[in-house]
Order: sequence, then C-alpha cells, then structure tokens
Amino acid sequence: MAEINQVDLEQLLNCALCPNLCRCDCPVLQVTGREAVAPAGKARLAAQVQQDFMVWNSELLEAVSNCLGCRNCTVLCPFPDLNLCDELLYSRTGEKKAGFSLPSWEPYLNNLKRYGSPYGQKTADQAVKVAKEAEVVYYAGCTTLANNPGVLDAAQQLLKKAGVSYTLISEDCCGYPAETWGDLELAGQLAAENCRKIAESGAKVLVTGCPECWQTFSERYPYWGHELPVKIIDGSTYFLNLIKEGQLKPEFIELKKISYHDPCIWARTAEKISEPRELIHKIPGITIEEPVYNGKETHCCGGGRMFQLSFPVTAAAVAARRLNDFSPVATIATACPFCREGLLQEGRKVLDLVEILALSCCNEND
Amino acid sequence: MNDYIPTTVQESRVEQPLIEKFSRKALEIIGEDNVSSDQADLLSTCRDFWPVNSIWMLEGSVPALPQLVVWPCSTEDAAALLKLANELKVAVIPYGEGSGTMGGVVPIYGGVMIDLKKMNRIRSIDKESLMVNVECGMNGALYEENLNREGYTGGHFPQSLRCSSVGGWLACRAAGQFSTRYGKIEDIAVTLEAVLPDGTIFSGRSVPRTATGPRVDQLFLGSEGIFGIITAATLRIWPLPEKRHMVTYTFENLEESLQAIRLVMHSGARPAVVRLYDAQETGHHFPELGDKRCGLILLIEGNSKIVDAEAAVIEKIAMAHGAIEEGPTHVEHWLKKRFDVSVASTLFQKGAVLDTIEVSANWHNAHSTYIAMQQALMAVEGTMLASGHYSHVYPDGAALYLTTVGFPGDDKIGFYKRIWQAAMEACLAEGAAISHHHGIGLHRGLWMKDEHGAGLEVLRSIKKALDPNNIMNPGKLGLAEVSTWQK
Repeated sequence: MAEINQVDLEQLLNCALCPNLCRCDCPVLQVTGREAVAPAGKARLAAQVQQDFMVWNSELLEAVSNCLGCRNCTVLCPFPDLNLCDELLYSRTGEKKAGFSLPSWEPYLNNLKRYGSPYGQKTADQAVKVAKEAEVVYYAGCTTLANNPGVLDAAQQLLKKAGVSYTLISEDCCGYPAETWGDLELAGQLAAENCRKIAESGAKVLVTGCPECWQTFSERYPYWGHELPVKIIDGSTYFLNLIKEGQLKPEFIELKKISYHDPCIWARTAEKISEPRELIHKIPGITIEEPVYNGKETHCCGGGRMFQLSFPVTAAAVAARRLNDFSPVATIATACPFCREGLLQEGRKVLDLVEILALSCCNEND
Repeated sequence: MNDYIPTTVQESRVEQPLIEKFSRKALEIIGEDNVSSDQADLLSTCRDFWPVNSIWMLEGSVPALPQLVVWPCSTEDAAALLKLANELKVAVIPYGEGSGTMGGVVPIYGGVMIDLKKMNRIRSIDKESLMVNVECGMNGALYEENLNREGYTGGHFPQSLRCSSVGGWLACRAAGQFSTRYGKIEDIAVTLEAVLPDGTIFSGRSVPRTATGPRVDQLFLGSEGIFGIITAATLRIWPLPEKRHMVTYTFENLEESLQAIRLVMHSGARPAVVRLYDAQETGHHFPELGDKRCGLILLIEGNSKIVDAEAAVIEKIAMAHGAIEEGPTHVEHWLKKRFDVSVASTLFQKGAVLDTIEVSANWHNAHSTYIAMQQALMAVEGTMLASGHYSHVYPDGAALYLTTVGFPGDDKIGFYKRIWQAAMEACLAEGAAISHHHGIGLHRGLWMKDEHGAGLEVLRSIKKALDPNNIMNPGKLGLAEVSTWQK
C-alpha cells in the first residue's frame, strides 16, 4: 500500500504558515495548552519531516499524533482543500512514515494482531452469527462491544421487532485503529477479513453501530482497495427509515428532555445532522435541548483517533470540556460508542440513540 | 535536545546546568505535566508570526531555540517561576498564542518559555460596573464567545482574535477592528495583575480612574514581556449592541475621504468600524467597486437611536465630500473575511515576501505618510505591490496600514530588511510613529531610538530597576543591540 496516504505538502504548508483561525477550535490544544499540538504546530513539525529537514523521533511522533481527527479545524479554515487531520495522519503513515509506534500503542496493536480487536479477547466472541442467510448484517464495532454491548442487544431487539432478516458476523476490527497507529498492513488484513465475512453472509445491507466503522467501510476500504459488496448505512439512519416505513412504531417514554451530542464524523464528514434529530422527534415524549456547540460546529468528545486508549488523560480532559456545553442535568444522547464512553463522566447519563429507540419500540417481552 | 534544525538569530544560550537546575525546581513548583524539554515543545514555542519566521521555516531553519517550556496554572505559579529564574539568572520569555508579527517571542538568548495558555479562565464578571476579570492566557475568540453567552461583548476584535490571547493584547498594546467605538486595549483595560521578576505580584485597582501618581499598571501595557508577566486583567465590557448599521461609501480619492472621516470624528460620531482603502485595495477586496475610487466601510452599533443619529450625521458629511453610497453588502463581506490571512501561506510558498506595516499619523500627515511610505516601498528592487488602508481613526489622526509583497529571489531576508528600512525611514521623515498596534518585538527595535529619542533611556532605566538581572524577554523592544539581526 505504498501509494496511499500521500501527503499534500502544499496543503500541509498552508496550515503551517497560517496563524490558525482554528486554534480556539482545536480541543487538544485547548486542554493541553501545548503549542506543539496546535493545528499549525503539528503541521509545522510534520512539514519539516516531509521536507527532510528533520527525521521522526518519538517526541515529534507523539506531538503530530495528538490530533483527534475531529475536523473542527476545517469549519472556518480558509483553505477549502485542506483537511489537516488527514494530512497529519498521512505524514506519519505515508511515504515518509515514522515506521515505529509509541510505547502506549503497542499493547493495543498486539491485541489487534492476536484477537482482531484493540480491546483484546473480551470483544472477540460477543458478535455471533445468528442466521445463515439474511438481508442485513449488523456490525456493532469493537468499541461498542467492549464498552457498551447493550447497543448490540438493543439493535437486535429493534431488528427483530421490525421483522428484518439480519445476521451478525464474528467481527474483526474495521481497521481504523490500526491505521491510526500506523500499521497500514494490519489495517489492510483486517479489511480483507471483514470483506470476506460480509460477502459470505450474502447480505445486501451493512448497518454499522459506530461512526468510525462507517467511515472506514465507506471511505477507507475503497481507498485501501477493498470493496464491500453491500450498501453501507449507519444505525440511526437505518432505524429512522424503519420508522418511516412503519416497521417500527415508537411509543411514549419518560425521558422528556435530552441533549443530542453530534459525533464529529456524523456532523462534519457524513453531514448527518438532521437524521438523528428526526429520529428523536419520532419518539413521543422527548424534546431536544441543544448543547452550546451542535450540528456542524459540534465539539469532540475526546474519543477520536483512539485517544481513549492512546492518550487517555487528554481524552478525558476533552470530554470534561465538552460536558460544559450541556446543561448539568441533561440526559445526553449520541450515536457513537466513543462519544458515549467519553461523556460518561461526573455521573452523567449518556445513551446511544439505538438504546433510546429500543426503550420506545420494544417492551421487555420482545 | 537534538539541534537538527539550524538557528538563525541565536545570540547565546543559558548554560545547560542552570537550565537543569531550573527544571528540577520548576518540577517541584508546578509538577511534571507542566515542564517540558521535549523537542516538539521547544520547536513550537521558538517563533511567532513574524513573516521572517515563515521564510526560515521554508528554508529549514528556526530563529532560535528555548531550552525549556513551562506552563504556570496560576498567578502564584508564575510568581514562583519568575523568582526562581531571577535567582538563577535564567532568561524567560512569556508566550501566549504566538500571533505576534515582530519576533517578540524569539528566544535569542535561549532560556525558558513561560507558556501562559493554562491560565485561561474568566474569574468573574461584574455586570453592575460592566467589567470582567480574566486570566491572560485566554484565547480571544473564546473570551468573546463566553461574554456573548452572558449578553456582553468585549469590544476588542483584532484580526488575530481567534489566534491571540488576552495577555498578548495587553503586552503589545493591541487595537481591534471595532476600536473607534470601544477603544484600543489600553482604553478597554481597567487595570491588570502582573508578576515582577523578583516574584512580587502586582495588582492594580479596578476603579474608573485615579489621581494617585503615575499608574503602575499602565507601565505594563505594551511592555512585551520585558518588565514582568501580565497574568490577568480587568477589562471593560458592553451589552451586546441593540442595532447594527452597515454602509459603504466610495470617494474620488484618498484626500477627500480622509477629510470626510476627520469631520466625522470631529462631529462626535463614533462608528465602531472605520476602514478606508486606497483604490488598489478597494479593487482587491471589493472587486465590484472597481479600482478607481477609494472605498470606506463603516459599521455603527449600539443603542438604536444613537446609531440612527450617527448614521445620519455621517451620511451628511460623506455626501458633502462627493461620496457614492454602496449599501451594506461590502461590510457584510468584510465581516465574513476579516480574519482570513490565508494569502500569506500561499504567497510565501510561491517565493514571495509579504508583510504589513502599520504606523500612526495625525490628520495633517496622514496622506503624505501614505504616499511617502508607498513610494519608498515600491522603490525597493523586487517589490511588486505596496497598497494601503486606514484601519483606525481618532479625532487627531489615523492608523495607516500598508501591505507589501515582493518577489526578491534568493535574498529574501535582505529584501525584508530593505523594505522595512525604506518604510521606517519614510515614516519617520514624515513625522509619523513607527507602530500603531503590531508592537516592536525584535525587528522594529532597530528604530526605537529614532522613535523615542531620550525616552528610550527612560525605558531602559525602568527596565534596569524592575529587572536588574535582565531575565525578562531580553533583547526586545530595542533595548539592546542584537548582533545577529542588524539593519
């Protein structure tokens, strides 16, 4: 995969030479106060390496890796073709890659190689094939399985309730963490294995429980040369469609007000801002109270680019900062296992949209 | 530390054993999370947005390297760190958001960068007296957003709003784009809190005015880190404006439009934004206005009745000077684009040298200074463009802001020095002041003697009294000769 993850040096330098309107939008800079992890700070270090003025060492790699991939720096960026998050990733994984990983990544990379999941054995057997042939494959994702397997249960309840012919597969990680940690070969192997299993299922639709998986299947697999022979759709949009088609009928639940946290990928990459809100509005008895930053301007939960494993202290600080944008008594809804995990601080109640919908559509006897 | 990247203006470095001693003691004061000798941290705090740094970056060098970075989290932390630095005679440089344009943070003598970004809280808002107490490391845009949520504005909108800090505004005597109504930072600041090199914490009084001798707090405004560290400030705030009126006028030439603005300021009207562009910049920023006339954009805001009255007064004066009204759309366009400086990134990569030079003139020489500086810049071989606008106005004069671009070939640094030499000589010959709001830093220190005359010795004496060991941002504000960076 030598030809992929190539840096666009002109774009990287555009950022490196800019005073950065986005400084206040970079959550990592805001919680660490480190100039080295400011957007232009990282761009400069990466550019110096790409221009052969410096060589990677662990200190430079650590700084340049301090990017959540949240793309908040693109919202007001004056360079329309610049996606700094990607350029930083490419700078350390592409042609002039670092070629080594940080010590804190090693155990997770080893887990990926051994178990197909950065979280190790605990997620390996949770998604078990339930049908030989089915229309739909539901893919929960390793972070959902590790941190909130209840989402898988809720999704299965909804699929059964709607009468959907579905199956699960023995999931391998989608490959996103492997790419994040610089092992593109491993990412490719995981992609190939997932493609094989999904193709074998015979399903026509792949429903994902995690935005990172959705993005990896939708964008990275074709880029890596792996095509999934299925339509890829995220859980909240899929279940919203089932409601619209009358296959799911939400009933009143006692949640009253919830605040929806837009996951960065949904809001800024997939631009799925209205769909999750529409789904919430379909549930009788719930109104939405928006947090301070929402929609395309959402702020990251601290979970992007595997920060909860790679840089847990920074991840927790970013999440705590994001929680300040919500009413202290709000129940927070989201549609991403990383967001849920990050925002579960200070006794906050955080639910995945699939869990809320299951509460509304499925009773205990379903 | 791997010195893989060469330095260009490193005069000297602090002896490493002293840095190591400082580091050990600093760890005891502020903890390991707040002390770093990591290469990435040293490389990232060694520069600001002085255009010369961009030239060096593309050539693979940095101006100079610090030897340690520390992050105080409180005024007490900052005081303890300065006391330690003073005892060990270690140079320290306060660092905010790094948006300065004159090399003010370049650590030419090495030493310790004191990064203030972890001091970023609003401590209190006094809604009765309309004041806020805020720590120095707070980002400008976040400061304004926080105030807006409470129904107020800070009234300070430098082009660097999103990439500058409250402390940086105070330390370089910043001016915001809405300054004609809200004032410059020295008008907005009620008082400030600062730490002196011996660790003393100075706190000024948050009262409207005093007649108790010279104001010590005002000494720190524009001090660029040479007297101590500004750690917090009490700033004036305003209720969010009830009404905003935007209008553009074009005039036949600069002289006529300057006359109109002068009379507007003498009438007592105080529009928030007054920006007058020469014909070249009018055509560049607002192509639909063409490049034959001079565009004046005005934004008036506040109480709706006062806004209406000011708009009427201004319209009458403008029309009497041959203005053509062009409506609000150009002001709206400017509001959307006003923080965008992306052209610098693009041009530097194409081999250009670009800079902006802002000076301060009275009405009698506001136009002649523009002519003299533009001609001086264009006379430098390699200059392709020298255009200007007036960005801030007063009853007694205006700030002139020139933008110059050149393609000098390989000798970019030589060209940079030549354009500045030409511009500063022309400015001084016209009797204008060498800086309106970008400050002095490293580079403009070369003309501080011409600017201040005997006043420079006064500054030097104050510096010596407050900082006898010369630990605070040494080599800046023109108080010392920097051999690596001569005229």
